[in-house]
Amino acid sequence: MAKVHEITVWARGVLQDKEGRDVINIFAKAAQAEGKHAQAFDNYEDLPDRVLVTVRKYVRLSDEEITHKYVYTNDKPEVVVICEATIVKGIDVLRGMEPGGTLIINTNRSIDDMLKLLPNANLLATIATVDADAITGVRTVDFSGSEGGVDTTGIGKGIAAPIVGAVAKVTGLIKKESLAKIVSDVSGMERGYNEVKIKHFKPAVAELVGAAAGSKTKR
Amino acid sequence: MMTGCRAAAEGAKSAEVEVICSFPIRPYTAIMMELAKMVANGELNAEFIHGEGEHAQLSVVLGASAAGARAYTGSSGVGVTYAMEIYSPMAGGRYPAQMSIADRTLDPPGDFGSEHTDAMSTRDQGWLLGWACSPQEVYDNTLMSYRIGEDHRVMLPQMVCQDGYFISHIPDKVTLGETSQVKEFLPPYRPISPLSLTNPVSHGPQIRPDQGAPMDAMRAQTFLAIPKVIEEATADFARIFGRKYDPFVEQYRLADADIAFFIMGAHSNTARAAVDKLRKEGVKAGMARLRWVRPWPTHQLAEALGHVKAVGVVETSTSYGGAMRGGNLIHELRASLYDLDDRPLVTSFMGGLGGETIWPADFDYMAGVLSKMVKEKRTDRYVYWLGM
Repeated sequence: MAKVHEITVWARGVLQDKEGRDVINIFAKAAQAEGKHAQAFDNYEDLPDRVLVTVRKYVRLSDEEITHKYVYTNDKPEVVVICEATIVKGIDVLRGMEPGGTLIINTNRSIDDMLKLLPNANLLATIATVDADAITGVRTVDFSGSEGGVDTTGIGKGIAAPIVGAVAKVTGLIKKESLAKIVSDVSGMERGYNEVKIKHFKPAVAELVGAAAGSKTKR
Repeated sequence: MMTGCRAAAEGAKSAEVEVICSFPIRPYTAIMMELAKMVANGELNAEFIHGEGEHAQLSVVLGASAAGARAYTGSSGVGVTYAMEIYSPMAGGRYPAQMSIADRTLDPPGDFGSEHTDAMSTRDQGWLLGWACSPQEVYDNTLMSYRIGEDHRVMLPQMVCQDGYFISHIPDKVTLGETSQVKEFLPPYRPISPLSLTNPVSHGPQIRPDQGAPMDAMRAQTFLAIPKVIEEATADFARIFGRKYDPFVEQYRLADADIAFFIMGAHSNTARAAVDKLRKEGVKAGMARLRWVRPWPTHQLAEALGHVKAVGVVETSTSYGGAMRGGNLIHELRASLYDLDDRPLVTSFMGGLGGETIWPADFDYMAGVLSKMVKEKRTDRYVYWLGM
């Protein structure tokens, strides 16, 4: 079976449900436009109609057709995207990630501040922050298009736009030009692409961070 | 790309349903949500009624259908069973309304996951009952079921089922029909004897016991005539829309197969990939996917599976205490094969329960069991519970 790249997006219920879903749909559409095979879907056990609960959204990308469509969670995410920074405090957002992964957070805090909240940051080869709230100035665009439906209001009007821009820059999995054809807020997407702050860890440093955090995860 | 829920709503829109009755329950809710948006936006001219429960939903569409409207409703899980009383009056009254089901486990405990037991519980109520394995097939079955159900040789309500979440919530490619194609395929609903102010008729009167048996026999007779109508509609659908389905049983690499999976719904997609993998490894595997549970395609199954040496029924429903101790499909499959001189060995695998996925490795395991049965020319078990 072909290698499937997994991206997991964490957001808050209701207020960010559409934004979280926009991130995965934009990414999947852009990937398809580039000739890749892609899946985008919501986690079904989460409760998106409860305000502020954490909700997960998944993207899968592959160069070949994804034959097993019904693995309903991303068990080994290579890239984790956090739409609201406080989510990292209560939840092990990196669970399942194999060493060498990428974390991208929507926050105005510094990368070093965020690292303090991540007990297993040694898994990361890359961490990045983007202040998507500041770029778009609005966190909730619309409550419509909830689970199982389609977004009739257009995708990528809110924080999803700078977030996908940041993801494209950090991961290189998708081209900025492909995103520009899909998102409603193209300048927001480009600002996310340009303004994202990135920190790469050399393997040795990543191991040190892991040791300091007391993690037993081996590279 | 769209989900099965959106595809069902698009199907209802294409069919220009006239009365819709909703009540929320995951995962089918999104069908009604999408239809509500279509009605509100003026894309669909239908009466949208919010019922006070599933029993009311079915009652409303019964009335609408009796008055001559093309009516549409749907549900999931315990919503399907809450409406139980109304299934037999709708079938007995010959009201060809449609109910779209996104399968969900029954309680207890509360679980959103897909399981076919909800709709399978209604299989003896006289409805047409069929399963889709993709959002595209949900759209297509919505149109085909109306066409078949409203045929005057049939006049029966239809249940269009899709696995909750796997089909209802995971987007896939869907091609919608052109208006001209839909118009050619699906003529307007012509009720035979509708409720009318100018031409008063009685519907659903009380009868005497001696009138019951003839009526039941007539309904059984009707079911004998349905396969021909299904074949015609499926062929017409292929001609007009260019998408060809096996009317009753999809046969995948089955012609020279030694072992076969018998399955319906979403997990058939995984089964197809598993068959390809097994073939590469030299195992002559195949798959038969059931499209209609009612009417049950007895002879078509005997024909499709008669030459296979061992069949594994992949059950995504439960029939506790049943003859085979597991699910439902194996009972009818074994009955379908019983009259063959050299019938296949048949066992069943309980999988996908509670909404759990059926993994590729599960199919490898099942293939191992089936190959062992072929080698030993016997089976000593009716049922295997996957992952237990």
